[in-house]
Amino acid sequence: MTEAQIDGRPASLDAAAQRAAEILSRARLPIVAGLGTDIAGARASIALAERIRGAYDHLESDKIFTDLDVMRQAGRFVTTPNEARLRADVLLFIGKDLTKIWPQLLERLAPAAVPEFDLAHATRKLVWIAPGRAAAQVDGLDVTTIDSNDPHVALASLRARVADRPVNSGKGAKRKIDEIAQILKGARFGVAVWGPELLDSLAIEMLYGLLADLNKTTRFSGLPLGADSNAGGVLQASGWMTGFPMRTSFGRGFPEHDTWRFDAARLVDSGEADAALWISAYGREVPRWKKQIPLIALVPSQVKFDHEPQVRVEVGGPGVDHDSAEFAREVGAIVARRASLPSDAPSVSSVIDRIAQHIGGEA
Amino acid sequence: MKPLVLALEQEPDQRLDLSPLSPHRLDGKSAKEIAEIEVQTTREKVTVGDLFRIRPGDAQTIVFEGGSTRLDNVGLGLKGGEIIVEGDVGKCVGRSMSGGNLVVAGDAGPYAGSALSGGRLEIGGNAGDFLGGPLEGELEGVTGGLLIVRGDAGARAGDRLRRGTLVIEGSAGDYPGSRMIAGTLVVLGATGVLPGYLMRRGTIALANPPELAPTFLDCGAHELAFASLSSRLLKPESRGAAKLFSSLLHRFAGDSAALGKGEILFPA
Repeated sequence: MTEAQIDGRPASLDAAAQRAAEILSRARLPIVAGLGTDIAGARASIALAERIRGAYDHLESDKIFTDLDVMRQAGRFVTTPNEARLRADVLLFIGKDLTKIWPQLLERLAPAAVPEFDLAHATRKLVWIAPGRAAAQVDGLDVTTIDSNDPHVALASLRARVADRPVNSGKGAKRKIDEIAQILKGARFGVAVWGPELLDSLAIEMLYGLLADLNKTTRFSGLPLGADSNAGGVLQASGWMTGFPMRTSFGRGFPEHDTWRFDAARLVDSGEADAALWISAYGREVPRWKKQIPLIALVPSQVKFDHEPQVRVEVGGPGVDHDSAEFAREVGAIVARRASLPSDAPSVSSVIDRIAQHIGGEA
Repeated sequence: MKPLVLALEQEPDQRLDLSPLSPHRLDGKSAKEIAEIEVQTTREKVTVGDLFRIRPGDAQTIVFEGGSTRLDNVGLGLKGGEIIVEGDVGKCVGRSMSGGNLVVAGDAGPYAGSALSGGRLEIGGNAGDFLGGPLEGELEGVTGGLLIVRGDAGARAGDRLRRGTLVIEGSAGDYPGSRMIAGTLVVLGATGVLPGYLMRRGTIALANPPELAPTFLDCGAHELAFASLSSRLLKPESRGAAKLFSSLLHRFAGDSAALGKGEILFPA
């Protein structure tokens, strides 16, 4: 039985879809935000955004753009967790939040295990910048750590020393940095691992400069942990549908990408967007904007809003209630997942299709 | 000749793309033709005539009476002539301009003077983040010209600056001069953290430097020949900048993480 509500009162899915269509069709600039959904949901959502000439954004865009901005302004190269586990003889971890971002990280990379495809078959070396207490989670190998309040400074110093250029640090700090630089330079295949919260795009550009410098004499690659809510999958779907990442608008009838103008929270709080469709099928995230505008929410049943949305449809979890395709961190690609607990809860794509049916040709 | 005056009658409901309103694009157009130009960015159509009262004149000088933070791309691609805005502007004012003079009396949004390659852009109020910086996917920020901010600038002012001069008379946010390739950035007020992060070459002159990254190396105090030239050159535009360059300057070279051929200067 589908749970849908209009103004907090139970309604049929069809009535809810019709009301949602009315709200979105009336708006000057409607937005499709959250976008926490599988590939089918993302495709339906972006197609709907085009139809209603709205803008779309993902709830984890800020994190996705830390890596993406480096890719499109400086260049980058990545590897997969499996490659790292099998081949890396040196791991460079950055930040105390890695296992929080991806709880299976240590299980997947097995730092203490001997890398199977590394010809030397030696124990791995692990360097951890700004580990907090997280380094204690790793058993069975020596971890070289360096505490740093600001990874920008640590990465800059390290890059300078790897390239044998001088730094203006105290003797003790310089000795530590030099020790780590030697470990990195001695790698046969090294992999750097980071998350998008501690490192911003500048720090990541510095890190890629370091990796590029290391690749002059050895091999080193990157493993960004990325963001949740299928941000990586939605990014790819957006790319193949419009040529742009999220934060793209169809306001003028063609896709225009702008990370500042089409930030959903900015659009709502500035008063530029006047209706929103919020999609978060993976979790309990609610919009971050403060201003109240007509809201349609496609969310799981437990989600609580400060102000009840005009229309609310309870959707199933991708890969839980229904089969899904989504970006999987463990392989660094889009994978098909079978429903773990199949149910009748509708998928985001099916609800969006219903809304789209109620939107006239001249929407 | 009288200038062309566009008086804003009300705050627009949506962001507007004013890139068509530059001298080279309005040359020879009648007031009626100008009034019909579309400037909307959503499905709701808006023309120049809907929002502005037009007082015809020579389009070599365009005066905007009143402004709004929703007016984007003012003076985009300006090649010559003059635009004066008696108010605020939104994103990307003076983007890609290669000549002429653009003066904003109020505040400017992010990416003001983005990819400026020539001419002069002056912002009387404050500027947002990424002053002069490249947009998504672009590799270079300012490549020539002069950009002056009388107020404060946001984070990462002068990002990927390659040539030309940026003067911020107020304070600058974090990471000013990030990823600089060359060129000159001057900040007279306070400066946020880590100036010159990832800079390869170029000059950053700071009246009030914060703590520098360890990848900037002390080169001592100098009387630099170029500094007195810069001082004379900047005197008509910014007395503060001229004064800074006329003092004895302490020089730090960096960012040694990148190429390390840039410099940060401050009064010794």
